[in-house]
Amino acid sequence: MVGKPQHITIAFDVMGSDHGPAEVVRGAAQLSLESPHIHALLVGDRPVIDEALAGIKHNGERISVHHAGDYVGMDEKPGEALARKPESSVAVAARLVAEGEAHALVSAGNTGAGVLACKRHFQLIPGVRRAALATVYPTRGVRGAKQDPFSLILDVGATVEATAEDLVAFAVMGSAYARIISRNERPKVALLSNGVEPQKGPPRVVEAHQRLSQMPGLNFTGNVEGIDIPRGTVDVIVTDGFVGNVCLKMLEGVHDTVMELAQYAYKESLRWRAGLAMLSSGIERLKDITDWEQYGGAPILGFDRIFIKAHGRSKARAIANAGKVAAKAVANELGTAIQEGLAK
Amino acid sequence: MSLPDRIDPRPPRRIYRWDLDKTYLQTDFESLRDLFRTAFQKAHEKVAVPGASALIRELAEQGDSRLCIVSGSPKQMRAVLEEKLKLDGVQWDEFVLKDNVGNLLRGRFRALRGQVGYKLPAILESRVNAPVEAEEVLFGDDAEADAFIYSLYADLIAGRVDERVLSQVLEAGGVYPDDAARVHEAWKKIPIADPVRRIFIHLDKLTPPAHFTPYGPRVVPIFNYFQAALVLLADGHLTAPQVLKIAVEMVQTAGHNIITLSNSFQDLLRRGLPLQQAAIALSQAMEGPNALLKAMRPMPDILAAFSKRLAALGTQPPPPRVQAVDYVSLISHALPRTHKGRTLKPPT
Repeated sequence: MVGKPQHITIAFDVMGSDHGPAEVVRGAAQLSLESPHIHALLVGDRPVIDEALAGIKHNGERISVHHAGDYVGMDEKPGEALARKPESSVAVAARLVAEGEAHALVSAGNTGAGVLACKRHFQLIPGVRRAALATVYPTRGVRGAKQDPFSLILDVGATVEATAEDLVAFAVMGSAYARIISRNERPKVALLSNGVEPQKGPPRVVEAHQRLSQMPGLNFTGNVEGIDIPRGTVDVIVTDGFVGNVCLKMLEGVHDTVMELAQYAYKESLRWRAGLAMLSSGIERLKDITDWEQYGGAPILGFDRIFIKAHGRSKARAIANAGKVAAKAVANELGTAIQEGLAK
Repeated sequence: MSLPDRIDPRPPRRIYRWDLDKTYLQTDFESLRDLFRTAFQKAHEKVAVPGASALIRELAEQGDSRLCIVSGSPKQMRAVLEEKLKLDGVQWDEFVLKDNVGNLLRGRFRALRGQVGYKLPAILESRVNAPVEAEEVLFGDDAEADAFIYSLYADLIAGRVDERVLSQVLEAGGVYPDDAARVHEAWKKIPIADPVRRIFIHLDKLTPPAHFTPYGPRVVPIFNYFQAALVLLADGHLTAPQVLKIAVEMVQTAGHNIITLSNSFQDLLRRGLPLQQAAIALSQAMEGPNALLKAMRPMPDILAAFSKRLAALGTQPPPPRVQAVDYVSLISHALPRTHKGRTLKPPT
């Protein structure tokens, strides 16, 4: 486990994001101007990084570069790509973190390749059998000292079939993460099921409910249903990777459909257009509150090192924020917090 | 100009020209309040840029150099600035300050903010009396027009700029006719030579390094004075133990550490500066009679980090291309910061 360092170095997988390497470099450059205690280690094609860096405002004392000549594309199969490209940027970045050259990894590239690279180079925290991919989503309620409108849901795809033991570990990991990143002292944790009653759901969920109810350090509130996800009834929702991924994709689909409907309304009728115009400041405010870029990225929890997966469409601000989230997790010893939570 | 701090009859082999605000001193004058505070600061309240005084002291160590300071600060600040330099153990040979009150009384408002009409004649007049073989290293910052003025100065005395271009630049830069006449007069007295080896630009405003590419590899933008020391080690102006002393001072007094210094080293390598030999010299400096330097924590760790940073880059990039500087097209860099024609966009 990594101790509490005075200066934190974050390895950025520069290649493979939807907006190309320059956007990730811009994010790291922004971070170098805003956060004196964070150093960025940019991993990727050096000439490309150098060219991008030379033309933007940055602090050269807080940035270094590690050349990696290859990268995994968004459409590549993770396992095959990593086997074919051992010197890809995400693999090299994960290796550098494992070797202690950096404290955490941020990538906006291929999610599967990121998780697989971490599996190969990082160790699972004692008590954790499987890692979980978490994500944040905007809700109606706010939580924690930061008045955070985002809740956490995990797992959304790292572990397709989770046992009761895995679900318990996910709950502890999610709670520790929400406590540290959202500054929410006692985050409410719930299991996603098809009813709020403890006996509802498949056997693994029922068993996990039983175990979680007996954990003293955890603010476990029981089961929640799908309807509670956007309501923000709880701060951390625990499920297996299969269900979590389906939920996540459905939330994204609903969002896209609402946006399309609004565009349709805007084009279709002058009255509707006028109505939307009158609502525009409110819509903008709503957009600000639910802007995922302020959150930066989602963590892969369960490893002894931190990995923040930034959205593939991340712009510079989101990348910089992902770096800050990673640094915060390192500074507050997230791994130790998870380990202590599991030991209770 | 006041009496020099020291009178050395020997002709100098090297001349180091320094600007003060934002180059040697950490100065804020972005707002009227900052300007007011700076004007009334006492000597002990002024803070030097980390490593700057150590670098000046080490450069003077050889005993065959001259320190010439040309600052845009008003003459009324001479006493406090001289006191500050003395507090830092810096000895100077020339110290020129701007006659802002004189400019104001004569209604020369452009001269209050303009840099070309002030600095260019001042450094050319200083060069008139220098031995033709004396080489120069110049230190400025990215807040005003130092890269432009210093490069123009270097190319003027090397005979690379003709009179027509000079006149165009002085006119576009809004230089008053008497100052333009001083430039022409001093320039004609200087024998043609190519003495300017480096121009260091302290990135106080963190201007992107590519902004200075049009000035060629002679201009080296630096994030800190450890970077300047490394380049001067490669150029033969400093020895490896001297560079280590500067680094140690920056670590002990300014919060620099293994990461900031090794990143600074790699930053220069990535910009094509050939520093591999300098890194070897630094490692060798830890051995033999200088073994005492090993005790200077965390120098051994920092040098080990240099090797890692070097290895991390793969192949070394080619050195930057030498090119003629197009001063007429770059004149916007030399206009005062608030001038509407001023541009700081990086080159495309």
